[in-house]
Amino acid sequence: MTAIIQLENVSYRYPIGEEWVLKDVSLEIKKGSFVSIVGNNGSGKTTLCNILRGFIPHFHKGELEGAITLEGQDLSGFQLGQLGEKVGFVFQNPFIQISGVKDNVFGEIAYGLENLGVPVEEIYERVEEVLTLVNIQHLRDKNPFELSGGQRQRVALASIIVMEPDILVIDEPSSQLDPIGTEQVFEIIRLMKEKGKTIILVEHKMDLVAEYSDELIVLDQGKVLMQGPTRDVLADPLFRKANIQYPHVTEIALELQEMGVDLNFVPIRDSEITTCFKHNRGDV
Amino acid sequence: MKQNPILALHPLTKFYLAVFITVSVIIVPSYLFAYAWFPILIIIAAIAGVAKSFISFISKTLLILLAIVFLMQLFFYPGDSVIGTWWIFEMSSEGLQYGLKLTSRILAIGAAFILFFRIVDVKDFVKALEDIGLPPTGAYIVLSTLQIIPEMRRQSNTIMEAQKTRGVETEGSLKVRAKAFFPTLTPLILSSIASTEERAITLESRAFSAPGPKTSLHQLTKRPIDRILNWTYLILSIGLLVWRFFL
Ligand SMILES: Nc1ncnc2c1ncn2[C@@H]1O[C@H](COP(=O)(O)OP(=O)(O)O)[C@@H](O)[C@H]1O
Ligand SMILES: [Mg+2]
Repeated sequence: MTAIIQLENVSYRYPIGEEWVLKDVSLEIKKGSFVSIVGNNGSGKTTLCNILRGFIPHFHKGELEGAITLEGQDLSGFQLGQLGEKVGFVFQNPFIQISGVKDNVFGEIAYGLENLGVPVEEIYERVEEVLTLVNIQHLRDKNPFELSGGQRQRVALASIIVMEPDILVIDEPSSQLDPIGTEQVFEIIRLMKEKGKTIILVEHKMDLVAEYSDELIVLDQGKVLMQGPTRDVLADPLFRKANIQYPHVTEIALELQEMGVDLNFVPIRDSEITTCFKHNRGDV
Repeated sequence: MKQNPILALHPLTKFYLAVFITVSVIIVPSYLFAYAWFPILIIIAAIAGVAKSFISFISKTLLILLAIVFLMQLFFYPGDSVIGTWWIFEMSSEGLQYGLKLTSRILAIGAAFILFFRIVDVKDFVKALEDIGLPPTGAYIVLSTLQIIPEMRRQSNTIMEAQKTRGVETEGSLKVRAKAFFPTLTPLILSSIASTEERAITLESRAFSAPGPKTSLHQLTKRPIDRILNWTYLILSIGLLVWRFFL
C-alpha cells in the first residue's frame, strides 16, 4: 500500500504559545489503513489533526516547519476548499460542529453536499443513507441546536461522512457517547474503512483502538514516541513509558507474563485470550 | 405546498410590492393616496392570515412614532396661517398639511415593510437573494444570525439563572433588570466572539469554500402570477411617473 499522507520533520508552534507543540514529527499513513493516534491530553493529537486537514496553517497561523504531503503533493499547494473534498474532519467538540444555518438535522447533514454542488436528487439519497447508517433517522426533523452532546456527535459524524472524503480524521468521537454509542461509532468507522477510506482516529478507549486499528501512532509531549502495526506497538516495552492505558486483556496478559506465565503472543483483543497461552489447558 | 394565495407568492414578489408602495407614495404627493395603502395592506394581511399580529405590531410601534412626528410638524413646521393655539404653541395649516403628508408616507412605507416581514419566511427571502447574486457569505451571515438569536436567548437565560444563584437580582423593576443586564451581556459576548473562529472552521469542514457552484435543497418556484405581478408593479410605477411629470 502506498502512503497517502506523509509528514517529515514537522514542528509546529501556536501563535500565542511559547513552546513547540509538535516536535520533529515524521510519520506515514498508508492509503486505506485505519490508524489510531493515542497519547495523553496535551500531547498534540488535535493539533496534528488540524495540520492534516489544513486548518493549520490556514486558520491557526503560528510557525510550521517540515514537509507535509498528501497523495504525493505538497499540502501547502492545496486550497482549503479543495482539501475539504479529500479530508473530512470530525472535531473533538460536538458543540461547535453545527453550521448554524439549518433548522433541522436533515438539512444540517445535507449542507456539506450543497456546498460541494452535488445534484439535489443525489443529496436526498445520500443523506437518507447516512441517517440510517449512523442510526439517527429519528432525529431528522429536530433542530440541531436542541440535541444532546451524544446526538450532536453523531450528527457531526454523519455530516462529514456523507461528503465521502477519501480520508477521515476523527478526533475523540466517543467523548460524549455511552459504551453502546461508542461501539456503534466504531462499527461505522469500520464500514468506512471497508469502503476504502483511510481512517485517522484519535481515541482513548484502548480496547476499541486495539480491536479496530491497523496501526498505532503514540504521541508523547509533541513527539512521535512509536508508530507501527497495533500489535507491535502494544507489545513493545517502550509503550509502557508513554503512560497510556493498555487494552484490558493486554494489561492482564503482561502482568501474568511478569509473574512467569508463558505466552504465545501478547493478546490485544478479547477474542485472543484463549489462544495466547502456551499450554492450553483446555486441550487435555 | 403553501395554499395561501399571498404566502405562496415568490419572496421577491412580496418584496417588490413593498418597494412599489414606497415608490408610489414618493411619486404621488397626495396624503390621501398614501393613507389609502393602509387599508389595502390590512386586507392583504387578512388574506394571508396575519392581520391580527400585523395590526397589533403596528399599533405598538409605528403608531407612537406617527403621533410624535405628526405633533412635531403640526406645532413646529414654519407656517403663517395659524389655525389654532395650544398653550404657547401655534398650529399652522402648513404644519398640518406637512404632518399629514409625512405621516401618511411613513405609515405606508413602514406598514408595507412590516407586512413584508410578516408574510415572508426570511430563509426564503435570503434564498431568493442568493438566486439573484447575493454571495454565500452574505447569505450565511443573515441565516446564522437568525438561527443564533434564539440560541443566544437560551444562553442568556442560562447565564441569568447562574447569576441568580449567585445573588444577582434579575427580576423586578426596569432599573433592577438593567443592572442585571450587563453581567449577563459580558459572558454572552465573550462566548460569541470565541465561537466565531470555531464557526469559521466548522463551516470550512463542510466545504463552505469549495470551488465551483453550490446546489440547494431549498428551491423557490416562480409562477406566472409572480411574473404578472412584478410587471404590473413596474408598469404602474412608470405610469405614475409619466402622470406626475408629463401630464
Ligand atoms: N489554539 C491554541 N493556541 C495555543 N495553544 C494551543 C492551542 N490549542 C492547543 N494548544 C496547546 O497545544 C498543546 C497540544 O494540544 P492538543 O493538540 O489539543 O492536545 P491533545 O489533543 O493531544 O489533547 C497543549 O499544550 C495546548 O495547550
Ligand atoms: Mg484533543
